[in-house]
Amino acid sequence: MKKTTLSYHIIRNVLLFCIGLFLVTFSVYYYFTRNTIRETTRENAIFLARNTINRIEEVLSPAEKIPEIVAKTLESEFLSKDSLIPFLKSVLSINNNVYGSIIAYEPDFFPEQGTYFAPYAYRQGDSICSSVLGDKNYEYFYMDWYQIPKITNAPYWSEPYFDEGGGNVLMTTYSVPFHTYKNGARVFSGIVTVDISLEWLTKIMSQVKILDTGYAFLLSRNGVVIAHPNKDYVMNQTIFTIAKENNQPSMRETGRNMIQGKSNFESAGFKSKWKSGKLWINYAPLPSSHWSIGVIYPDKEMFASLHRINIILLILIVTGLFLLSYVIYKIVNNLTSPLKHFAESARLIAEGNFNVQLPQIKTEDEMKELYNSFSYMQRELGNYIATLKETTTAKEKIESELRIAKEIQMSMIPHIFPPFPDLPQIDVFAVLKSAKEVGGDLYDFFVIDGNKFCFAIGDVSGKGVPASLFMAVTRTLVRSISDKEFSPSVIVGTLNKSISQNNESSMFVTLFLGVLDLSNGVLNYTNAGHNPPVIIKNSRESTMFEKTKYIPVGLFEDFEYGESSLQLDSGDKIFLYTDGVSEAENSENDLFGDNAIMEIISGNLSAPPRELINKMEEGISAHVKGFTQSDDITMMTIVYNG
Amino acid sequence: MKPFIKIPLILYFLLLLTTPVDAQISKITFAPQWIPQAQFAGYYAAQDMGFYKEAGIEVEIVHPSANIQATALLASGKADIISLFLVTGIAAKIQGLDVVNFGQISQHSAILFLTKKSRGIEKLEQLNGKKIGIWRSGFDEVPKALIKEKGYNVEWVPILSTVNLFMMDGIDAMTVMSYNEYDYIINCGVNEDELNVFPVSHYGYDVPEDGLYCLRSTYEKRGPELQKFLKATLKGWDYAAANKSIAIDMVLERMKQAHIPANSVHQAWMLDKILEMMDLSNKRAARGELLESDFLKTVKILNNSIKSKSNFTFTEFYKPLYK
Repeated sequence: MKKTTLSYHIIRNVLLFCIGLFLVTFSVYYYFTRNTIRETTRENAIFLARNTINRIEEVLSPAEKIPEIVAKTLESEFLSKDSLIPFLKSVLSINNNVYGSIIAYEPDFFPEQGTYFAPYAYRQGDSICSSVLGDKNYEYFYMDWYQIPKITNAPYWSEPYFDEGGGNVLMTTYSVPFHTYKNGARVFSGIVTVDISLEWLTKIMSQVKILDTGYAFLLSRNGVVIAHPNKDYVMNQTIFTIAKENNQPSMRETGRNMIQGKSNFESAGFKSKWKSGKLWINYAPLPSSHWSIGVIYPDKEMFASLHRINIILLILIVTGLFLLSYVIYKIVNNLTSPLKHFAESARLIAEGNFNVQLPQIKTEDEMKELYNSFSYMQRELGNYIATLKETTTAKEKIESELRIAKEIQMSMIPHIFPPFPDLPQIDVFAVLKSAKEVGGDLYDFFVIDGNKFCFAIGDVSGKGVPASLFMAVTRTLVRSISDKEFSPSVIVGTLNKSISQNNESSMFVTLFLGVLDLSNGVLNYTNAGHNPPVIIKNSRESTMFEKTKYIPVGLFEDFEYGESSLQLDSGDKIFLYTDGVSEAENSENDLFGDNAIMEIISGNLSAPPRELINKMEEGISAHVKGFTQSDDITMMTIVYNG
Repeated sequence: MKPFIKIPLILYFLLLLTTPVDAQISKITFAPQWIPQAQFAGYYAAQDMGFYKEAGIEVEIVHPSANIQATALLASGKADIISLFLVTGIAAKIQGLDVVNFGQISQHSAILFLTKKSRGIEKLEQLNGKKIGIWRSGFDEVPKALIKEKGYNVEWVPILSTVNLFMMDGIDAMTVMSYNEYDYIINCGVNEDELNVFPVSHYGYDVPEDGLYCLRSTYEKRGPELQKFLKATLKGWDYAAANKSIAIDMVLERMKQAHIPANSVHQAWMLDKILEMMDLSNKRAARGELLESDFLKTVKILNNSIKSKSNFTFTEFYKPLYK
């Protein structure tokens, strides 16, 4: 695993939290600010469009009044035919915005004038000229300015047009139908028009400044571009041809809304050669001519201030996060630097250097507590180790003494085999494996009077030094008593008396003691509470001695021990053992048991004593499987070779 | 002299040397029947791509104005060749202008009756009793003949050239050219699905339109040149059909020079429709050929609509030069 530091974890978690917090805050801020900007722009756009419309209407509205007044005047028939041109001239002279004006009559309205009669006054340079229009080549009855208001019986603003006669300026004509009374009936009699130059309109429109590249444009009722910063569009394109050229159906929809006199503020993605990108458009109709004005706000510029602030914010936040990381790093490092020293100290202490210098803590916080705990641990460990040293020394002394005791104990029992090379009638082999340094088991054998073989095996209650001392006492007593006595029961009884007296510690010993007459093979024995030995007759059959009825030695001073007798034949073997053999335990607490003993013996009936004991040891090892030995193991095999 | 002034000069002299100065090259003045637009893209292409020059003729294209019609240009000798609708050509001859047709370019009629769906006219017979706008300046014979044949009683409203009366709902229907006014109305924000159209061709009046005309005297004197002109013109149309955007640019250039409002969208539409009119796939005519059946059909229409009757035969009217 990669090694990380505490400051890395803290910085990572704090940064993640801060970035999350920032993202949420920023999104909310961005959303609301954007909405606010859009709303402000919308209001601004509506205001701008209305303002521009008002400026245009300032010209168009009064211009509408002129033909309307003229029409009323004509209807009342105040004017004579001859006064029409002077009248029109005077109208022009007081209305500077009006380029020309016509009063066009229906065919044969004045019979003497024929089919056509249309007095016309117009500006030429600074002067006002006049003429009478209408002939075969100028059939005004079929012209829009005449025909449309006549048929629809309503005033009509013409589609703008370039006036070829008047210096190719953009013009529009406002026509109003007028009526007169003939035989008491009100009949349509003709059309009054004013021609308005739209040069001023282009000027007004070009004065509209929106952000960096925003602009205003004007569409006629047919969607023809009347004013636009891109001069190529003006009078050449309709919004619908531009939409088609750039394959933008949504622009066509916007155009339809515009020429239908609707108003709206909406987003639009334009991608014409002239302008592309996301835009916002506000459009509104002109009340007089039903043209439509559109103001365009480039989205990028609209939100430019927001984007600028965003960049600044981002820089500030990134810088802030770096600073925050640095400060956290510093703080955490300051706080945790003693920990590194503590870790070092702990390692040194573990190596045994208890007097290592702990880091100095000046604060009164958790670090101080850690310091106190460390310093306490350091002190206590020192004390503990000192005590441990003393204890270890004492223990080593005791262990050395115990080792010596064991050596002494082992030297007390015979351990040279074969013990009697000059007595061919008898062969013995024995082992004693103590569970602890010194044990409570014993075995012994010796020859009395040259032909009596005395042997004993026993097990002292308890273990360790007391048991070994008791064992030494028992062995010594057996030796001294059997100096004078050959009867096993007497030997055991005397031993019992001796031990029972002053047996303050209430220890006892199980003992099997036998005396074999080497001359005739008679074995007399007394079993004082010991495991029954096994007799192997003639290397063919093995039987266990009967269970004893006598209690272990050392319990009751006056206990009477009896003895039994057995005739041994040449080759008969006796296998003796202590309960360390039959009760050898494995890790599952299963005992080795008498049956196992008998089985091993049955498998080795003819084996010599050493081999039989080796086999028995192997059997025990296989059973316990390395489990710690809990009791002394003692075995002895005697062969009578009569 | 600066080196980059030298180079054009050298090139100029080289050009003078390599261009054969042909004293025999004959000049032809051609006048299409209307102001510059994609309806005449083939002629512009033949001129700009040098097809006329290749054929050994030098062609100047002049346009009529609102006041002077193509027939007047022909009559006054200001034009040697003009293009006219078949119906106009026959009418002119009936009225005494001794013209001959030496090539029929268009083979179909582009005339439609157009109404807004809002007027509720779903079938042709519903035009009965309605106000219909119609060109004041000609081309009115065919639609009028159809209405007359059907026996409908309609009020014809003469219109000079705009669609504004239609847009303002001053009339119920209007005769339009599929290549011109129809698209113009679409380009004024009316959607196609808001319109009903009744093409006269669907009612047995598929009368060919644009054809090439000259005075009979011109034909007799300059027949081979006229043939060259027709051949080069057809080549020009082939070029325009294959190179539409280049052809549109040629048209727009001429419209700009003539100070006519122009946009490529409308001109592209017009070129497509004009090329459709030249389609021969369901007609047994050669390119540039006028069928006698078409001539007779048109004469019949005219005899029903104007007072004077035709007193000439097909062969007197049509001089085939397409072979």
